[in-house]
Amino acid sequence: MSEVAPQTAPAATADGPRVAEPGSSNGTILEASGVSKIFGGLVAVDEVTFSVPRRSIVSIIGPNGAGKTTFFNMLTGLYKPNAGAIAFDGKDITRARPDRILAAGMARTFQNIRLFATMTALENVMVGLHARMQAGLFGSIIRLPSVRKEERLAHEKAAELLEFVGLRSSHFHQMSVNLSYGDQRRVEIARALASNPKMLLLDEPTAGMNPQESERLRAFMQRLRDERGLTILLIEHDMKVVMNVSEYITVLDHGEKIAEGKPEEVRGNPRVVEAYLGKQTGE
Amino acid sequence: MPAPPDFDLHSDSERGLEAASIPVRATRAAPFEAIQRFLSRYGLIIVLLALPLAFMASDLAHGHGFAHILENLKDGVSNGAIWALVAIGYTLVYGIIELINFAHGDVFMIGSFVSFGMWGTLGVTLGTGTLGRVGGLIVAGAIAMIACGSLNVMIERVAYRPLRHAPKLAPLITAVGFSFILQNVGLEWLGGSQHGVDDLVDAQHILVNIGGVHIINADVLAIGITIPLVLLLVAFVQNSRLGKAMRATAQDPEAARLMGINVDHTISLTFLLGGLMAGAAGLIYALYNTTIRFDQGFEAGLIAFTAAVMGGIGNLQGAVLGGLIIGCIQQISDDRINSTWTPAIVFAYLILIMVFKPQGLLGEETREAG
Amino acid sequence: MTAIRDFFRSIGDAWDGLHPNVRRAIGVAVLVFFIVLPFFFTAGGTFIDNATRALAYAVMALGLNVVVGFAGLLDLGYVAFYALGAFTIGWFGSSFYAQVNHGKGLHIGVTGVTGQLPGIHFNFLLVLVAAVIVCAIFGVLIGLPTLRLRGDYIAIVTLAFGEIIGRVAINGDSLKPFGYAVTAGRQGITPIDSPDLPGLASFGPLDLRPWYWTALGMALLSLFVSFRLRDSRLGRAWIAVREDEVAAASMGVPLVRTKLLAYATGAGLGGMAGAFFAAYFNTVNADQFEFSFSIFILAMIILGGLGSIWGVVAGAIVLSYINTYFIPNTFKSLPHHIGLNFDLTDLSFGIFGFLLVIMMVLRPQGLIPERRRKLELTEGVGAGDSEMPIEVSV
Repeated sequence: MSEVAPQTAPAATADGPRVAEPGSSNGTILEASGVSKIFGGLVAVDEVTFSVPRRSIVSIIGPNGAGKTTFFNMLTGLYKPNAGAIAFDGKDITRARPDRILAAGMARTFQNIRLFATMTALENVMVGLHARMQAGLFGSIIRLPSVRKEERLAHEKAAELLEFVGLRSSHFHQMSVNLSYGDQRRVEIARALASNPKMLLLDEPTAGMNPQESERLRAFMQRLRDERGLTILLIEHDMKVVMNVSEYITVLDHGEKIAEGKPEEVRGNPRVVEAYLGKQTGE
Repeated sequence: MPAPPDFDLHSDSERGLEAASIPVRATRAAPFEAIQRFLSRYGLIIVLLALPLAFMASDLAHGHGFAHILENLKDGVSNGAIWALVAIGYTLVYGIIELINFAHGDVFMIGSFVSFGMWGTLGVTLGTGTLGRVGGLIVAGAIAMIACGSLNVMIERVAYRPLRHAPKLAPLITAVGFSFILQNVGLEWLGGSQHGVDDLVDAQHILVNIGGVHIINADVLAIGITIPLVLLLVAFVQNSRLGKAMRATAQDPEAARLMGINVDHTISLTFLLGGLMAGAAGLIYALYNTTIRFDQGFEAGLIAFTAAVMGGIGNLQGAVLGGLIIGCIQQISDDRINSTWTPAIVFAYLILIMVFKPQGLLGEETREAG
Repeated sequence: MTAIRDFFRSIGDAWDGLHPNVRRAIGVAVLVFFIVLPFFFTAGGTFIDNATRALAYAVMALGLNVVVGFAGLLDLGYVAFYALGAFTIGWFGSSFYAQVNHGKGLHIGVTGVTGQLPGIHFNFLLVLVAAVIVCAIFGVLIGLPTLRLRGDYIAIVTLAFGEIIGRVAINGDSLKPFGYAVTAGRQGITPIDSPDLPGLASFGPLDLRPWYWTALGMALLSLFVSFRLRDSRLGRAWIAVREDEVAAASMGVPLVRTKLLAYATGAGLGGMAGAFFAAYFNTVNADQFEFSFSIFILAMIILGGLGSIWGVVAGAIVLSYINTYFIPNTFKSLPHHIGLNFDLTDLSFGIFGFLLVIMMVLRPQGLIPERRRKLELTEGVGAGDSEMPIEVSV
């Protein structure tokens, strides 16, 4: 563990001004302690301790191969950590299955957009609603009134979400592979939002976007937090977005947490400069 | 190469979040996990050794010593050598285009038939002298290998290449189609019943007797052809320029193309190599069993494919290992249980291996080995 | 080739353009056509025989399509459910267990002579339900070890189960768990009770029409189930799993449950058809339960268009006809006309293979491709399981 990093959760929440909304300032939503992942001898994530205050926007940055996505995959249950524990919203999710973690309120997007290619935009979002629907095998075959109603509501909800993320309604019924890159990102976010999550994990959401689009996404993230009370954790390479949007930043390098704090603290940290900003290959 | 994903999407399904909604503890060293770890490490070895060890114990208990079980294993290895050669064809092809080449077993059958036909053409019979027989075997073997290699290349050209960008399962059906066609060719060639082959190598002749284990001519033939062929093949794939092209294509065809590798040629080469091995296996099979049959390739194909998967598909050494293991299981089952149950026992083993080691025995090495 | 494709596409577009009521009317007309069809043919003739088989194969194919086409789980051991379905009727609808109830037998819902026979005799409908249940349970059991496997590893494990069940069928006469043999071995279980259904009299070899209508009813039921499930929460989950298992799990789709439901549904339909086939052939012949049967059904769904419900039905009908009608009859008479001096029936499966190759090369996406798959082809979208996060280097 890094001794350079300022200490974690309790201190962080105490002085996070924008977090402290009345009634919702009850501490952290996500807490990882000593989480490690080893792939065949290679330590991808090394005893990272980390926490996210409720209704905050937190970024994880670091050079390529720093273990950011691996860390995400552990949080969302795609990988089981070799050591350590992860708690989300008061529940231990260290070894829970991905679908249970989603049901608990943590949804994500992927670095290399993983939409269901041959489904329409709308259907993609409806898959995101899966956890909130009930219909079973026999109910679906007989198409009970309750199933019919649920299906209709899901349809409406999905359309509403696609509208919310700004997809043109003429694109709702297009196969997701045929959508533009930016629209695919939108659909992916809508799909993640469909489960009504408490926390949203975005893996390099601005990758491939031009500065205007990135700026719009940044505003969108803030809107999500302010209007819907979401907590957002993102992996991001675009320093402009990171510095503007994040309340806290955690820096990983070679699987280790080397720094953590508010944007201005991290920016000045010599280890970060050395590991990340100093190396121009970071992007 | 199918990248074995490390995503662990299923484990711990027993534990819901409800059960886990307690304050975080630093570690969760449950005994359940210890058992799981033990099983994932040693379960496979236990499973594999169960059958031979059980019969060895019963032999010892009855005062029969080790000879019987060793004899079983010896037979298994020499029989398994044939499966190994056929399995290599599956694993090479799967490694490079991710296709289960269902016609491969029938290519192997054609290998047996061509060998048989060549002896007829060359006039090699039981009356021929030793030198003549050896010469006849070498010529017949070479021609069977070349015939199977070319046949395999032709099948790829006609039935798989046009479907390279089709849905993944489309070539599976053309493979089945070619399997039927080849079987029908065999049926027209030698008829629908077993066809006897002259016992040119005096297969059952006991060469040496080592502590009760009888090494017969057929063993020497099977092992003596398989080992050099496998060594040559491994050396070729690992060291030659073409072999490197094969591995590169297996890893990433698109990248290989960008590197200037002719992917089509490389795939043809892979089919050629697989066919050569199948041809050699066909020759050994004909001499070893002294009977051939038009549908021998069907069962052999199934067994060899099982061997390839068992060893970790895409992995050459794995295919050989899988072939040998299946050979041994078959022998033990044929000899000790009942040959009508043998296929069921082989497949039960396969399922157990898949459960304990989903990537196959040597599956993890596939990435490096290509 | 493109002409064929355009032809199908234009039909599809024209269909979509019709008013829903017109579509419904056409549907009813087609249904009535199929119901009255047997009246135009000889009651015991080959046409109805072939049509009955084709319909039963369609049920099998629709079942396998749920597993392979919808959920993307390559099942090469589907013959297992043919076997289990057939054995269900062998166990519960024949005199096989003659010693039951001191030779007096056990009868539920059967009338006439059958009601007097020793052995277990349940009504055909009950047997069908039992076959569905037995197969669904086995579908789950077979599915369990494949859950953590991918792609072709699933194929080989299902294949292995299929072979094991085939072996048990052949050797089951020596397995006697409670003093009752599991199967009759190579002898086969025969005769099988003729179905005893309300409104349909005289199931027998002379009048095949009741068989035809039963098969038609089963096919309609399978179609109904397929359509309803495809457009449901579960159907979307299946396609999501097929497209990208990792993303599906991350979006809240429970993989175990979703996959097992696919296996169970597919197995249930297969078992229903299996029980029907056994009754229709009047025997449970252990030698039929071979790997080639699995491949035969798989060929139907791939040829028809994986995942496409109508395509699968078309594939089943085409291959069933090629198998039962075209090759034995047409080719038997051909050589005399064209002066060949060998019997082409010997070449039947070679020709079958040749046709498979030709059809697949000409229409790789199947006769009536699923709309999604069409796009998958043109856009070159893979099944999505090869793209792993780049940071992960195992």
